[in-house]
Amino acid sequence: MAGTTDPDSGITAAGEPIKEDEALQRLRQTDDQSLQYYAAWWLGRMRSRHPDTVPLLRSALRQRQPRDPGAGVEHNAVARNAARALGKLGDGGAVPDLLAALEDDDDGLREAAARALGELGALEAVEPICARLASGLAGAGAPMTNSPKLQEPCEALIEALGAIGVADPAVVGVIEPFTGHDRPLVRSAAARALLQLTAEVRWGEVLLELLEHPQLQVRRAALMDLGAVGWRPALEPISATLAENSLKLIALRGLVEQGSGEPGLEALLGAMDDLL
Amino acid sequence: MIDPFASLTPLIEAVEQADTATALLVATARLASQLAGGDPPAPAAIAALVQVLGFNNPGAAVAAVDGLIACGEAAVAPLLDNLDAHNYGARAWAVRALAGIGDVRGLELLEQALGGDIGPSVRRAAARGLGQLRCGALPDQERRDVLERALTALEAAAADDEWVVRYAVVVGLESLALDFAPETGGSKGEIWERALRTLTLLSQHDQDTTVVPLRANQALGRLGPAA
Repeated sequence: MAGTTDPDSGITAAGEPIKEDEALQRLRQTDDQSLQYYAAWWLGRMRSRHPDTVPLLRSALRQRQPRDPGAGVEHNAVARNAARALGKLGDGGAVPDLLAALEDDDDGLREAAARALGELGALEAVEPICARLASGLAGAGAPMTNSPKLQEPCEALIEALGAIGVADPAVVGVIEPFTGHDRPLVRSAAARALLQLTAEVRWGEVLLELLEHPQLQVRRAALMDLGAVGWRPALEPISATLAENSLKLIALRGLVEQGSGEPGLEALLGAMDDLL
Repeated sequence: MIDPFASLTPLIEAVEQADTATALLVATARLASQLAGGDPPAPAAIAALVQVLGFNNPGAAVAAVDGLIACGEAAVAPLLDNLDAHNYGARAWAVRALAGIGDVRGLELLEQALGGDIGPSVRRAAARGLGQLRCGALPDQERRDVLERALTALEAAAADDEWVVRYAVVVGLESLALDFAPETGGSKGEIWERALRTLTLLSQHDQDTTVVPLRANQALGRLGPAA
């Protein structure tokens, strides 16, 4: 039932909102994984502060199950959603479990764990993430033979390094080759992280170029990346790029909230008003 | 007989026949810019622009909205008559066009959109539009009724789950209050006070952003020391 839930829509398959104790109960039982899957998402989304929430999510993170295409559930669905929720809850106690998940065979789980570690700003994750990326374009960044995925979930790993924010030359050196990756979304992630770590204009310029990419999907990614960094010189190009206003507004909110300097608040808020 | 709109015909055809996203964008922008001239707009041109709103081509839709806003009142009925209940992207653009035109015939649609549409982009456009209804020419009482309804819808939406809708509510309240010229005397009091009260609340706290309070504070500053 809840297995068919779109994790981003906020709507259960049954259409019924649930309460915190119900979510905890659903996560605690293990008979129906689709209930756990939804409950894990719900607790993260609602920023649950209940004392049982983090311990339950940590044990859910250790659950493994095969993909069940019939139920529309992804591989290790409960663990992946638990990782995502732990990233949102800001409890550093979850870091050791997430570091373990970062070493899992399931690249989807590694991806979710990397993003969560980035959100938690987990300094301990910098080394293991760099180790996964160190093989560069020919290793981590090479496509798998039997799938469109790369050997490692490069975008998530790189973005996590940017979010954690250790501007060590070794970290920068690991990321830099990925600005030359074939795939524009990987280049975008690399430029975003490098802009966060070094504040060098040239990385912002890479993102501005991607804002003019012929594919909408790439322009969208560049918008989100510029917003995540809050790089204010991007104001005009963000307003001008061909993409949905909703995404431009999210990007400009990032410029207001994450950025500093010029252009200032008047110009930023004025541009946002024009996009409503 | 000479067709007064003959010069538009090839432009309309170019919109209808565009077979790539870029061609549609270019054709729509050309047609829209022709309509900005001030001549009475051709119904066929308006119909073509309304159709573009449903094509899931954001660039072309922006151009079409600009063109429809330039058409003003003449575009209101075609927009209201062609709302697509199943395409919220298209509805958002239509609401944006109606919001930009500011015709009070759009009031009911904007109210419904802000209060009940599932698309945040639709609610966002509606909130902004409710702040810029052009009702200066209406008799005093009627004008007050329109503003009161717009204000009530905006107040309710100040608690919307989506930050971007709350942001648009701030912008809507600001323009509604700014539009409320001080010389309207007696009627200013309550509507002005209510708008300020909601803006003040939004300036003090937002559930997950700082940009909403920042924008609300900017609005309060613009409304002057009286705020």
